[in-house]
Amino acid sequence: MDIDYSTSEMHFREEVRAWLAVNTPKEPRPFDGTEGRAFDLAWQRRQYDGGWAGINWPTEYGGRGLSLIEQIIWFEEYARAGAPFIGVCFVGVNHGGPTLIARGSEDQKHYHLPRILKAETIWCQGFSEPGAGSDLAGIRTHARIDGDELVINGSKIWTSYADLADWQELLVRTDPNAERHKGLSWVICDMRTPGITVRPIRLMSGQIDLCEVFYDEVRVPVENIVGGIDQGWSVAMSTLGFERGTGFIAEQVSLAAHVEQLIGRARETTGTDGRALIASERLADDLATLRAEVTALKAMTYRTVSEVARTGTPGAEASIVRLYTSELSQRVARCEIGMMGQTMLDFSYGMKDPTHRYLYGFAQTIAGGSAQIQRNIIGERVLGLPK
Amino acid sequence: MDLYPSDTEEAVRAASEAYLRDHIPLNAARLRPDGIWTDMAAMGWFGIALPEDIGGVAMSHGAEALVLAELGRYLAPIGTIAMAVAANVAIATGDQALAMDILAGTRRVALGLTEAGGQLRVLEVRGANMVLVTGDNGASLYDAPVDWTINDCLDPSTSQAIIALPPKARIQTTGSRAANHQRLVAAAFALGCAEAARDMAAGYARVREQFGRPIGSFQGVKHPCADMAVRCSAARAQLLYAALTLDSAREDAAFQIAVAKRLADAAAIGNGRASIQVHGGMGMTDECDAHLVLKRAHLLQFISPVSTAMLLAA
Repeated sequence: MDIDYSTSEMHFREEVRAWLAVNTPKEPRPFDGTEGRAFDLAWQRRQYDGGWAGINWPTEYGGRGLSLIEQIIWFEEYARAGAPFIGVCFVGVNHGGPTLIARGSEDQKHYHLPRILKAETIWCQGFSEPGAGSDLAGIRTHARIDGDELVINGSKIWTSYADLADWQELLVRTDPNAERHKGLSWVICDMRTPGITVRPIRLMSGQIDLCEVFYDEVRVPVENIVGGIDQGWSVAMSTLGFERGTGFIAEQVSLAAHVEQLIGRARETTGTDGRALIASERLADDLATLRAEVTALKAMTYRTVSEVARTGTPGAEASIVRLYTSELSQRVARCEIGMMGQTMLDFSYGMKDPTHRYLYGFAQTIAGGSAQIQRNIIGERVLGLPK
Repeated sequence: MDLYPSDTEEAVRAASEAYLRDHIPLNAARLRPDGIWTDMAAMGWFGIALPEDIGGVAMSHGAEALVLAELGRYLAPIGTIAMAVAANVAIATGDQALAMDILAGTRRVALGLTEAGGQLRVLEVRGANMVLVTGDNGASLYDAPVDWTINDCLDPSTSQAIIALPPKARIQTTGSRAANHQRLVAAAFALGCAEAARDMAAGYARVREQFGRPIGSFQGVKHPCADMAVRCSAARAQLLYAALTLDSAREDAAFQIAVAKRLADAAAIGNGRASIQVHGGMGMTDECDAHLVLKRAHLLQFISPVSTAMLLAA
């Protein structure tokens, strides 16, 4: 066991820091979808031009091919520089691209991978359905084969950026008679295909980046299937595996910085009784606990990354880090609105303030496998409890 | 950077675990055999991070935390914490002979909690001839009083006494190193305690049936067990990270160790309680081991406790 970085890793950190200092956008990301889209694409393109796109992708596909430790360093510096969330490029860079690298055909890789890295195309994820959110194997959107085309009917929901996306990683049922996990296919779907209707959904935070997508006789070439027909479940699982990798580190570093801001604010802000907020024992204890928890989160991430570096797989422990991160993030948001007092009422749709962060934060224990599902996974795969 | 134990570290941990399982099972925590201190000394547990020429094992504090967490899991005698810290204190003052006696288990050190009003609560007093008191400004080793009254403790695995603080220490160190070390060792014990509760509860939930199914299949039981695993995972990662900051004498070592103790304590108490609930009616009985873990968790809370101010400093 060793917590020190090697000399070359420290040099790498300096290189990253220098580049980010010059290139990180100074202005905040616009709230609005279309402006946000332009902002995200410009930032992704700047990273590509600087040689920093697809940091975990192999170099032969235009990525940077960084080691796990280098990825940690990149994300730590990324968060420290206040660099923006990847936004609309998330699915392409973190799900779709890596899935194509692992399971795609040469033609699929050759066409899509450079476009994703250069921010020429936006991807969205079509996995969840109204009747199949946490129960992914229960999806009903189906595709029948008609010549060299799939004909898709059904609907998807909770699709981030579907209204802005060019392509979708779409999970459909191609064999209605097979077992639940079998008979699914993972398809690359052009979002401009006739028969697709997108309905944006407004969240309680005012944000509109999730959508419902309807498919009415949508025709997609059979050659757009990735990893073979009826093999969709295993392809989808490899996609979700990427999601649980190092991509969360930036979020964790930001969370730690956020807690430090709250501690600073609690020291500087005076309450109605004329004393600093931190003089409240209860608030001080909450902040101390949050600081301890974000510190441990960093250690947990290092530990998971060390495990992956040694054994090649994160194991079910990744679900623990995932659950801990999402719930901790909500505790931080709750502490923050608690410090705001009545001013949390001064909120209207379109504002990006702590109240927005609190409201939007409810998604964290729901999206991408709910907290309940994560607890089932931990209970069954870490502790060996029966299903 | 690598938080994964090396092959050597893993081998030492596994050997320790095997010994503990065979010789001091958790369910015998109330009655430890007299010869245990010699055996524990022979395993090298009092000086894992001390040099070989005085009887130490010459490994890192990371390895020490890894191994002592195993001891914590089997509710090994709480006095082990005092022994491990006192050996380091003796080395720091140049008293090599004393250090060697402690490492060999021929000199037994009891664990003094923080003194209040000239009175000192001492743990693991039976058979001890010295008392260690560790605070954030230094550590002192006293000769034990000859006439102490030995009392039972909430944690039935140990004994305690209340004594007047002796007028003069035999040896003394200044600075916070001993305090940090003691906090780390106590955190390792607390982590082990939390993991014992987790494993006990999960083991029971796998076999105990109600409504015709193992209770672990019900989410009302499964999810609290998962929460136990989450608390252990956070505490373990932090413990090992903190231990390594002590090895490389990093500036933030005191903070990292304080975090480790805070989370390990919270995990031990939280899991201790949850385990009793999972065990149901059985869990409330004296013959079920679940309460031994909870009681140990409460005891550990008072060993090098972490204040809010410590975590909010800087």
